[in-house]
Amino acid sequence: MTGVMIVLIIGALGVIGWIIARARATRLQAEVGRLATNSRPTQHGWYVALWTMLPAFAFLAVWANVMPALIADSVLATPAAQSLPTDDFSRNAILAEAQSIATGSQAAAFNPQATELVEPYRVATTRYSTMGAILAAILAFACGAYALSRVRPAFTARHRVEKVVMWSLLGASLIAIVTTAGIVASLVFESMRFFSMVNPFNFLFGLNWSPQSAAMGYGNEDAFGAVPLFWGTIFIGAIIAMIVAIPLGLMSAIYLTQYARPTTRKWMKPILEVLAGVPTVVYGYFAALTVAPALRSLAVSLGISNASSESALAAGLVMGIMIIPFVSSMADDSIAAVPQSMRDGSLAMGATTSETIRKVLIPAALPGVVGGVLLAVSRAIGETMIVVMAAGLAANLTLNPFSSVTTVTTQMVQLLTGDQEFDSAKTLAAFALGLVLFVVTLLLNIVALRVVKKYREAYE
Amino acid sequence: MSGETVLDRAAASDRAERVPTDWRGDAMKRRIARRYAAERRFRLWGMAAVLVSAGFLAFLLISMMGNGLRGFTQTEVAVPIDFPRSPALIDPAVLATNPEQALASANLPAVLEQATREAFGLPETQILSPNAVLTLRKAIISDPTILQRKATVNLPASTGLDVAMKSDGTPADEALVAKLGDAGALSTAFNIGFLTGSDGTDPTMVGIWGALKGSLITMVITLALSFPIGVFAALYLEEYAPRNRWTDLIEVSINNLAAVPSIIFGLLGLAIFLNVMHLPRSAPLVGGMTLALMTMPVIVIAGRNAIKAVPPSIRDAALGIGASPVQVVFHHVLPLALPGILTGTIIGMARALGETAPLLMIGMRAFVSQPPGGFTDPATVLPVQIFLWSDEVGRGFIEKTSAAIIVLLAFLLTMNSIAIFLRNKFEKKW
Repeated sequence: MTGVMIVLIIGALGVIGWIIARARATRLQAEVGRLATNSRPTQHGWYVALWTMLPAFAFLAVWANVMPALIADSVLATPAAQSLPTDDFSRNAILAEAQSIATGSQAAAFNPQATELVEPYRVATTRYSTMGAILAAILAFACGAYALSRVRPAFTARHRVEKVVMWSLLGASLIAIVTTAGIVASLVFESMRFFSMVNPFNFLFGLNWSPQSAAMGYGNEDAFGAVPLFWGTIFIGAIIAMIVAIPLGLMSAIYLTQYARPTTRKWMKPILEVLAGVPTVVYGYFAALTVAPALRSLAVSLGISNASSESALAAGLVMGIMIIPFVSSMADDSIAAVPQSMRDGSLAMGATTSETIRKVLIPAALPGVVGGVLLAVSRAIGETMIVVMAAGLAANLTLNPFSSVTTVTTQMVQLLTGDQEFDSAKTLAAFALGLVLFVVTLLLNIVALRVVKKYREAYE
Repeated sequence: MSGETVLDRAAASDRAERVPTDWRGDAMKRRIARRYAAERRFRLWGMAAVLVSAGFLAFLLISMMGNGLRGFTQTEVAVPIDFPRSPALIDPAVLATNPEQALASANLPAVLEQATREAFGLPETQILSPNAVLTLRKAIISDPTILQRKATVNLPASTGLDVAMKSDGTPADEALVAKLGDAGALSTAFNIGFLTGSDGTDPTMVGIWGALKGSLITMVITLALSFPIGVFAALYLEEYAPRNRWTDLIEVSINNLAAVPSIIFGLLGLAIFLNVMHLPRSAPLVGGMTLALMTMPVIVIAGRNAIKAVPPSIRDAALGIGASPVQVVFHHVLPLALPGILTGTIIGMARALGETAPLLMIGMRAFVSQPPGGFTDPATVLPVQIFLWSDEVGRGFIEKTSAAIIVLLAFLLTMNSIAIFLRNKFEKKW
């Protein structure tokens, strides 16, 4: 019996319970009169359906977690398992192989002992899953029957069903907290393991990043200095990208809000927003395939001999373009929030539109614009694919935009996409980098939101 | 000169009674002209910024089109094959009953080898794609009578030939194209295999169906998890939540999650789903769960705005005739807010569909040459496939990568236009 089948069966039982309870409640209502009943027939139906399904599903969820251990125990108790090696690692490998053959995800065994265990495995799996299915069905029946027995005119089915609904609404909103806690816990926990191997001071302030040499056994202490990565991230995300994005984004917002005709605005705004919707892997490919070679030949023609084909400039330029819509929509909002009377006052004094914008609107909207820029920076430094594909892997501390630099996110991808164990400093370093990234983007966001909020209140 | 006059006048007006401003004076005219010029410049700068941004988008799309449209076509070589004389070992009886089996042992590569040597004097591998055997097999199955005669079959060309035919190849391949072209053997056909195939090692054999199917399965999981959770959370926060420290905490974490870099969600998926819960690596299930956590805050925020826009009078009216708070929300508020929620959901799903980084973290960058059959099979998704192909050195992969990008962008633009359409259609002013 497969898992899907049993879920469907319990679901069907729930539907049947719903129909029976509703019919019974309708009959009762007809007998005693509408006003004498507490709840509507449908609500009785839902009450019975919930009682039928929820305990059974809860049981199945528990059973699915207990079952593997039960199966393994009963397989180990069979005579075929007596000859297994005693050390846990190789025994578990053989068991896992037998399991994957039994479930059909593997065709044949490498280890002859696994072949002998396939049959016991299959028998045990069938036994326990049938047992679980029967127990779940009995539970569904029992609870459903109990709930059905409570269908009375005065029974407060609606109240109880709504309580379940309220709890599930609350549960859904708690998932956000659980996720946040999960992120923080996993980052902090794995980073702790990393910092037990590498001194945090050396990590945060060291100038040499060479995890490969650490993995090859040259010692951990001097290999994980992350300053070149921090610099590369800031260089690309906060400097080059912003040099592109701030003027273009700000001027676009000004033009579209102050000068453009309504039709132009109606068309151009969504077109610019498409820039934010293009997947970053597409930008990355574009940066690596088109922009980077063009910049390299530009650099060579300018006489820069050591120009790299993966340059900070290519990644930063393309990232800046990606960020334009963020800057422009934030600037758009904050310019629109400046009271019309200030603008009218300036124009009435004889200032031209551009003078009004430069001397009145922008200064008034500045906090909002700055907040938007901070949000854009936070997004740029967390961006991964563009820098993975176009920025390179060499950890250089350089000011030369034509040279290759590496970033925090690039290194996270590099560290975690090989085949290595999860207790080496090299893989755990990715979590420490993730923690730094998380903290920095969080701080940037908090500051940005504060700035924006404070400014909003000034005119209200 | 002009500055002096203005200054003189200003100084004079301090001393004596104010002299009326000479608006028609040369100095003032020049000054106004300068200010108007600055105005025009500023305006032009604004227009230039918009045009540069839009121009970049156009450049991106056009260059992808230019590279990618060729990926949907394939160069074919017309190879004359003399079947009766070929070394094919085909049993006509088996062919009639079980053609797959008959052709599996028919030694078709040798047939092709002999045919290309006779026709062009070159080995098969230099002219034809490894896929050619499959095409030949299909041709024989669809028309078994060609085994009795001499026939010309259109077969997919090798990567080198394909690249040389479409753009600049190596000198050797260019010469080959010229030679075969003179013989009239080359043609271009729509590459159906690109839409139905999966990842492979040879650019002429690869297709996007495997990655597309992986994307679809992943999106199903993402939607099934993030939509109900997101809508429920939005309803709770907007309609029922008391104002206290807990709901503040929930709100802060949702807003914060919306701003967390996507790669961090990959780390979460790796640490929790793979290392703690031991779910299968590279599976759409894990990818979908990771992306759902990322998409959920987007849906919550859009949902809250949509729910907020429903006027209180509707709630009051329902409450006034005796509906319970749950009935008010599920019978009245939710249906009215649904278009707004759907718009937000589509935008969130579009973002999830284009996401790559978190999926790399949970191991969805393996080489997968079969479309996934279920939620736990190893799979890849479209953006990851693009990333993997972009790393391939072969020239032929450039056009395949761009072609896959065109497919991905087509999906995203469609989703976004649906969202805009929905927004315009259901936008209500109460």
